Amino acid sequence: MTFYDLIVKRIKKAQEADSEGPVTNVSTSAMLTAEITLISSLLVALIMLRLVSNVLMIVAVLVVLFAAILSMPLMPRLKKEQNDSLFNMTFYVVLALTIVIVLFYWGSLNV
Amino acid sequence: MIIDTQLASLFTAGALIVIGIFAAVFLDNLIKKVIGLAFIGDGTNLFLIAMGYKPGGIVYIYLPGMARDWFAQNAAYPLPFAMVLTSIVIGASTMAVMLGIIMVLYKKHGSLKASKILGD
Amino acid sequence: MDLLIPLMVIVPIICALFLNLLHKKDRTIKAIAITLALILPLLPILASYGMHYFGGYAPLTENPTLSTGLPSLITGTALKTFHPAITYSFQGAQKLFIFILGLVAFLAIMVSLFETKRPSGVYGFMMFMGVASLTAILLTDDIFNFYVFFEIAALATVGVVLVSQVKGNYETALKYMILGGIASPLLLLGIALLLGVTGNVNITDIISSLKSGMVNPQNPVILMACGLIVFSWLYGSGLPPFHTIKSAIYSKALPHGAALLQAFSVFTFVALGIIILRIFSYLPISQMIILGVSLLAMILGITMALLQTDIKRMFGFLAVGELGYIGLGLGLGTAYGITAGLFQAVNEVLITAFLFIGFGTIYYQTGESDIRKLGGMMIKTPLVALLVLLAGFAMAGVPPLNAFQSKLMLIQASIQAGLPELGVIMILMSIVTFMTFMKAFHAVYMRPKPVELEIKNEKIPQATILALLVFLAVCILFGLFPHLVTGFLQTLSISLAGGMP
Repeated sequence: MTFYDLIVKRIKKAQEADSEGPVTNVSTSAMLTAEITLISSLLVALIMLRLVSNVLMIVAVLVVLFAAILSMPLMPRLKKEQNDSLFNMTFYVVLALTIVIVLFYWGSLNV
Repeated sequence: MIIDTQLASLFTAGALIVIGIFAAVFLDNLIKKVIGLAFIGDGTNLFLIAMGYKPGGIVYIYLPGMARDWFAQNAAYPLPFAMVLTSIVIGASTMAVMLGIIMVLYKKHGSLKASKILGD
Repeated sequence: MDLLIPLMVIVPIICALFLNLLHKKDRTIKAIAITLALILPLLPILASYGMHYFGGYAPLTENPTLSTGLPSLITGTALKTFHPAITYSFQGAQKLFIFILGLVAFLAIMVSLFETKRPSGVYGFMMFMGVASLTAILLTDDIFNFYVFFEIAALATVGVVLVSQVKGNYETALKYMILGGIASPLLLLGIALLLGVTGNVNITDIISSLKSGMVNPQNPVILMACGLIVFSWLYGSGLPPFHTIKSAIYSKALPHGAALLQAFSVFTFVALGIIILRIFSYLPISQMIILGVSLLAMILGITMALLQTDIKRMFGFLAVGELGYIGLGLGLGTAYGITAGLFQAVNEVLITAFLFIGFGTIYYQTGESDIRKLGGMMIKTPLVALLVLLAGFAMAGVPPLNAFQSKLMLIQASIQAGLPELGVIMILMSIVTFMTFMKAFHAVYMRPKPVELEIKNEKIPQATILALLVFLAVCILFGLFPHLVTGFLQTLSISLAGGMP
């Protein structure tokens, strides 16, 4: 079994658990593209840590790369987190509020 | 001990906002959620109006016979009062629209549970 | 003082009230609404640059007749530079933005009048009211006035969704209002904190008191205010974590409504982004947060768009993802980057409206927006298919269309600012955006038609095709002559970048 088949199988499994219509060619390839886009853009964005420290950048990229590959179908989980239920939305809104305030308060005083 | 009026208002405003956010996130009944939102709005309004408070100040209306310098030194800051009025009107209209939508949804679903109506 | 500046806000409000009065008189509404909507893009072209002081007067330094005879307590202190009025400032950037907003509004209103069976005065009311509030948001220099119109724009958005009669619109509208009920009082709280520290709500005055050292810029209260304003910026423009609700709002509106609503979000994003940059650019963290949030919006928005099966939801997520480009431009902080970001904002408004109205013809013809149930529409409407394809090219940044120029500028700006990684991500996201578009395009137009799909309206109104052609013409014009746009933006971006060219 090739690596591609392995990925497709895992995505299929995750999608079937979601029970959102049949698994088609298009939806599988869309899921796969989203997955690759997510991981690659995250890794490229992490390279910007070089402005803080080179060692930190290398460590962070390696850690995220391995973490992403080990928990491979990330996208189905991410999709489930971004669903339309009000509780999820308000939860993330309050979380974002906390993060923004903390960043501004501590980030500005300590940078 | 007499607590400073302005400080007490600010603390009350903070408490109202925190209680409101808690209610809006964790209570399941839609009407209670809206009441929570009203708390957030009211807390903000109280905060805003406390900004214009001046201990021992007078109302900022220039009456005949007042000395100009005395008025300038003693009048409260008028801007927050004007702002709060606008903000209350906006809050009331938003609230009306929200309650109207809830009425329609109640007729449709026969329930006020947010988890049932506004779930996935 | 130019009288046309306040008229830009007053005319759409009067149009809105007038249309509401004429409820149920279909013919009259159609004729009057189109005439009135045509005024919207014309007003900013005719108006000359200047300031307008609502309910007050110019600062005393600019007004020597008024300042004679006043005590030195006023004329001798900083009070003389303050703006004792609700100030509207109309400059090059505002001219461009309001023109684009007016154009999109005119075309969306025209399409809506011909695509809905019985033109509703209420729908027109909501659209005009939204345009009025967005015009005020772009013009105002007063942060409390900004808040007032911010709330009216949110109510108009909800109104456009409520009258659409799409399934599930009430639920989505209520969710949006509940989240707004948390976020917008926090904007007011941020404004209250700024008022408490500086004693002012005029943005220019707040900046001058921060710069002149009257107020300590590192005051924790100001940091808190900045945090709260940034948070409401996320809400107003639909950046994460509000991207799910914003895309849901677009998908529950009618396509022409969605075309206008995304313009509202983009311009709110731009206006509040400019305010944040103007007041808080001395905090390095504010630019970092703008960059981070924009990256997150791009990644989450575009990957989520790829997974959707509803066309309207898909383009809703794409619209949110494309906001990231603008944010990256603003967050770079250089004049070139800010110009590129604002140029991208103009292009995005046009292209997303183009796509929403273009794919809206499918919804108009079939009443269906699930791509799994659609297909074979190319045979029915080859011309619209071609126009939609060109819109997709424009969004992906194919030359000679407009987004090519702005995306190129953005990538160059990111390299100049020493962050080439952002350029790489932007290119990657452009490719995925185009793939998402092609997924929808293939499913709708190129696949064989499913048997059970029925066509309700055979003929697409001429007005819709005319609107699409206008969008295409503007896209090509801006693509061939980008300095037409950037010329208007340069003054603003140089002043935002702190005077550095």
